[in-house]
Amino acid sequence: MAHDAHAHADGDHGHHIIPMPVLLKTFGGLIFLTILTVLTATQLDLGAFNVPLALAIACGKATLVIMFFMGLKYDNRVNTLTLVLGILFVLIFISFTLFDTAFRGDIGNVDTIPQEDRTRMEETLQQRDPGRAGLATSPADSLALEQNPLEETPAPAEEPAPETTEPEAAH
Amino acid sequence: MASTTTTAAPAVEHGHGDGHAHHPRFQHHFVSMEQQFDSAKLGMWLFLITEILLFSGMFVAYTVYRVWHPEVFEVASEALNPFLGGLNTVVLLASSLTVALSIHFVQKDQIQKMNWMLLLTVLCAAIFMVVKYFEYTAKFEHGLYAGEAFHPHAGYEQFNIPYARQFFSIYFVMTGIHGVHVLIGMGMFTWLYTRGLRGHFSSEWYTPVELSGLYWHIVDLIWIFLFPLMYLI
Repeated sequence: MAHDAHAHADGDHGHHIIPMPVLLKTFGGLIFLTILTVLTATQLDLGAFNVPLALAIACGKATLVIMFFMGLKYDNRVNTLTLVLGILFVLIFISFTLFDTAFRGDIGNVDTIPQEDRTRMEETLQQRDPGRAGLATSPADSLALEQNPLEETPAPAEEPAPETTEPEAAH
Repeated sequence: MASTTTTAAPAVEHGHGDGHAHHPRFQHHFVSMEQQFDSAKLGMWLFLITEILLFSGMFVAYTVYRVWHPEVFEVASEALNPFLGGLNTVVLLASSLTVALSIHFVQKDQIQKMNWMLLLTVLCAAIFMVVKYFEYTAKFEHGLYAGEAFHPHAGYEQFNIPYARQFFSIYFVMTGIHGVHVLIGMGMFTWLYTRGLRGHFSSEWYTPVELSGLYWHIVDLIWIFLFPLMYLI
């Protein structure tokens, strides 16, 4: 390991001095990529590829900073391992959260009856009771019907209510 | 090796005798200055990982809300000024260069140049914060706040759309916490500058400069991702 060679260099501790031209070129590359990302984001419309392109350029800039400014290219491997493990956990964090949130569907729907059954019940009710008053299967439904009456007879919501339980019981 | 003679008095304040074997900063529980330096650096990297994880929580929030309402985020990001964001990117990149150069110079024992680079870093950080101040006040004037106070007006009515508030909340929290990191960095580099003036650093020992430099580069890295995500796309 290069580490052992350093330990023997008494006095001169043997830290790698990153040459000035490397630092200046890194800075130049970073400025170039900044201009590139601004131009591609404002002048080009790649549709679905806008975000991946901007992220790819950002990752390129991050790599330059990490390798040359932070000196990881010349450093102990254990520091690279630390960083890679950290990035791994960030990726797990993002991807597993998206597994949930991106495929969650209608989170506000807490109905115990499956949506298909609910639709079928509504259709049956609609056929039997075109006035829609019988659709009030819960207090919230009655409220919604009162606030948004689609028919002329809003009042008798209570009367047909027992009928609505019938299709459920019939199953 | 000289280690046989060092066993007598390896404590911090002793060992002025032969500067190489017993640097005043050398602590007795380390084998060598090299090992001491590497341990400090590994510790700093572990801290930087916690910083990355701190920001990753907010990046996850950004990702989730963007996946839910991509069209709202595209419209809302037009409220931000890409020129000022780009200017701040360049300023931060320049400060990263000056930090890297300050370490380059201290390694070559060019202490005066190191001091100049540390001062330039503080200056760049200050420019960043001034630009950020003007950006924030321009948003506040038009009612673009985080959370409940959000009420766009005075020519910014087009942002009064559902879920736009989420974008601005995320924008202010992420750039705000990043800004706090820049302020902390300003304090650190001012402190390093005064220590540099007092002659505390040399190629023998410059651990605080190296570790603060790593911190500053991580602050720069966060901004490298914040800039396109917030201002551009």
